[in-house]
Amino acid sequence: MKADFDIIVVGSGPAGVSVAFPLLEAGYKVLMVDGGREAGLAPPAQEFLDWRAGDPEQWTWMVGRDYYALRNADALSPKLRVPTQAYVFEGFTSANPMTAQDFTALGSLARGGLSRAWGCGVARYSAAELAAFPFGEMELVPSYAAVAQRMGISGAADDDLKEYFGLDHWAEPPAPLDPLHRRLLERYIRHGATVNGAGVRLGRSRVAVLTKGRGGRQSCDLSGNCLWGCNRRALYSATEDLELLKVIPHFQHHPGFLVEAVGREGDLTWVVSGDGLSWRRYTSRRLVLAAGALASTRLALNALAFTRTVPLQSSPTAAFMLWLPALLGRQREPTFGLGQLAFSLDLPGGVSGYGSLFNPTGIPFAEFVGYLPFRRRYGIDLLRALMSSCLVGNLFLPGHLTEAALSVDAEGVLQVRGHYRDEVADLMRVAEQGLRRAFRKLGAVMLPGSFTLGRPGSDIHYACSLPMRSSPTRGETNAYGELAGLPGVHVVDGASLSALHEKPHTLTIMANADRIGRRLAEEKS
Amino acid sequence: MKLFVTGATGYIGDRLARAALAKGHEVVAACRRRPELPLTWIPYELTSPAEIPIPRGVDAVVHLAAITNLEAMDPDTELEAARRLLAAARHVGARFLFVSSQTAREDAPTAYGRCKWIIEQEVLAAGGLVLRPGQVYGGPERALFGMLMDSVRRMPVIPAFLPAPRVQPVHVDDLAAALLSAAGTREIISTVLCIGAIEPVSFTYFLRCIAAGRLRRFRPAVPVPAVLIPIARVLAPRYAAIAQLKSLFALPPMRTEADLKRLGIVLRSLQSGMTRSGDTRRRELIREGRVFLVYVLKMRPSRAVLRRYVRAVESLRDGRALPLPGSVLHMPLGMLLLDTGATRSAPRGEEFFWRLHAAVAISEASVQGAARFLAVGEATGTLSAAWRMMRAGSQELVARVLRCGMTPVLKVRWRNHGLVP
Repeated sequence: MKADFDIIVVGSGPAGVSVAFPLLEAGYKVLMVDGGREAGLAPPAQEFLDWRAGDPEQWTWMVGRDYYALRNADALSPKLRVPTQAYVFEGFTSANPMTAQDFTALGSLARGGLSRAWGCGVARYSAAELAAFPFGEMELVPSYAAVAQRMGISGAADDDLKEYFGLDHWAEPPAPLDPLHRRLLERYIRHGATVNGAGVRLGRSRVAVLTKGRGGRQSCDLSGNCLWGCNRRALYSATEDLELLKVIPHFQHHPGFLVEAVGREGDLTWVVSGDGLSWRRYTSRRLVLAAGALASTRLALNALAFTRTVPLQSSPTAAFMLWLPALLGRQREPTFGLGQLAFSLDLPGGVSGYGSLFNPTGIPFAEFVGYLPFRRRYGIDLLRALMSSCLVGNLFLPGHLTEAALSVDAEGVLQVRGHYRDEVADLMRVAEQGLRRAFRKLGAVMLPGSFTLGRPGSDIHYACSLPMRSSPTRGETNAYGELAGLPGVHVVDGASLSALHEKPHTLTIMANADRIGRRLAEEKS
Repeated sequence: MKLFVTGATGYIGDRLARAALAKGHEVVAACRRRPELPLTWIPYELTSPAEIPIPRGVDAVVHLAAITNLEAMDPDTELEAARRLLAAARHVGARFLFVSSQTAREDAPTAYGRCKWIIEQEVLAAGGLVLRPGQVYGGPERALFGMLMDSVRRMPVIPAFLPAPRVQPVHVDDLAAALLSAAGTREIISTVLCIGAIEPVSFTYFLRCIAAGRLRRFRPAVPVPAVLIPIARVLAPRYAAIAQLKSLFALPPMRTEADLKRLGIVLRSLQSGMTRSGDTRRRELIREGRVFLVYVLKMRPSRAVLRRYVRAVESLRDGRALPLPGSVLHMPLGMLLLDTGATRSAPRGEEFFWRLHAAVAISEASVQGAARFLAVGEATGTLSAAWRMMRAGSQELVARVLRCGMTPVLKVRWRNHGLVP
């Protein structure tokens, strides 16, 4: 039987687009399918402070015409209350049947996947961090280079995190810091030694944001709309690569083809999509799953008829607020809304933490005012005076500290369960104290009571459910992401990572996907 | 839910169809003329012997159609039509709801009442539901309510009959909600549900409400001995509507409280239902919104912001105003006594904080909000910021002390509002 395509890629997120480029270069006929959701609302075009001051329709972005922002009150991340990003997360758990217990299970049906609503952090896993992976660091370097250069990253600086991020040679210099971050960094440069002694290192955030325009994408102009969507296309999302792919012959994109199941028949692999009344099927010689860890695992476990649980890793997260008293009363000004400074933190037991600091100008007060021990009326008065000298920070711990598991039931519904390991509470307490002391030395006060632990799964960095191993058993994948027990089906998204560290992992997923794509390309010739 | 409604263009039927469509149900209307609504129309005549095509997939049949011209009414035709509908409903496995009348009794003085009773028995025997509405009012000026409105408008006085018959009013939209609730439930079968005000009111009072609320006119009430009604009917046929109510005098009151509770329906008050809009809920929400928003913004909210608050509560919550104490409604600063952690454990505490959060989020997302929250266009500086923080802190302290001291008073005075634990 003749296959419809050489290779079908399920998912148009960062992993899917990264695997596609080498495949197309080799001359494979590739079909990419995805959930196809698109934004219903264009992001604001003016600078943040300008549209806040003058646009009577600003409520459509901040609250939403259907009051979207008032619906998801209990999620920790403000990202989940932004009406312009509603399409990124909507419908995921109903389209990919799953039930989650004590775990935040989110994913995206959007074109471009979760990269339509991400923080743009990029980092490279070191050789030590890749120890659990069944291949050497050198195999990944060309892929890191290719992907980083294609995305466009910035943040290269001669600082204490240069080695930690390991990708400055592919990065442009960073966008300018705002006065708050600048002051912190200056104090760090002067008093760095004491802070390092406490196991904290500070440096510029490395992010997938353009500081130099290229093609149709403009550079960041510090307009501060990052949370609402960047209309300059300075922030990377996989749709940028999808546009490049669509120009290549042999590439077909079928959006809105939501894959219900995959499988093997003879020497062909297939994907099906349907709404219960009619079904559509495509066949290919090989299949690549890049639908996101949860969705890909569901498809794989069902195809394998694997009823046992597979472990899932997820990074415990926390958020906190810093106040810089020296800058109290500072005038608000336009600024970059994503991470400007990053830090790494040594914790007991050989664990490290990673986090970023953000300027909260673009985040509505409504997100914070409920946490203050003040009546709302006076809480708003307080924040109004205080916020312009405050920064928000987050913290991630390594993924093995969450004990989570995935399995499929008789109806093919994914069951997700997870909780933090016992040591997480202590680690977070030590982290809070360590950060508080370190930032105190740099002239920033961590507001009491602001350090808040997120719920398991709220990082949305799920990974390692179908990990790559040198001798994989059923429920694992080989060094090229190929499922043990289902030859010809490769997993290239977070599910196939062998370890999830606290560093931003998206670039590593993309590099791994690119590496697997190159291997498949080699096999053709 | 897919509903098959006969008489969908009538006074009650039209409101039922609209309410059902607004809730996202499918409606199949069986009536003589095509309604101007997004529903499926099947031509249907009560008197016609033709077979009634009830489509497959219909969950419930609501039989509202009746011959309204009391002189032309023929009990046999009505009974035949009901029987045919019952059979057709059974054929497709749909529930059957018959809208009867408070006058339905085996020994009713009117042929109308007796006819309704007979049909009721057949419906109950077949496992269907019977709804007996009280005095239906509100909505468009139609049917008996319309005639009463017209009469009150024309007459210079309101007849206060002695003795005064008592009625149990029900707003036509509340009746529609009750019908939808009954149509949607599987648990209740072979029962008569009475839908009307729990406490009967005098008919005179009812007419006065029409005059004052709906017509906004003053009409003095003049006592009229009830025995004079048949004379009035002959002398002044224009006021025929009043005379039709002869049957009212013989009506025993219905017990409606349990049935309303079963259907989960809370009737709006007569004062509220007799207003032009039919509903003071929106007005109450606007008042509540103004209080929350002035408290948060420290200035009067723009109309647009207020409107958004009301719409948010209508679309995401139950659309009803919180029972805020009168003093708070008049003085938004009174909110300082409610905006405290202790309120969370009060019965309506969670809802209070949802509304407060909504007020903050909605007011922030406006030009007014930018001035208030971000101090856009204002002078800044360390000293003024420090001063503002200290002022906020001391105001908070004062509010706390005040609340602490007033707790015993509030526990007593505000005990019925559900906002003090």
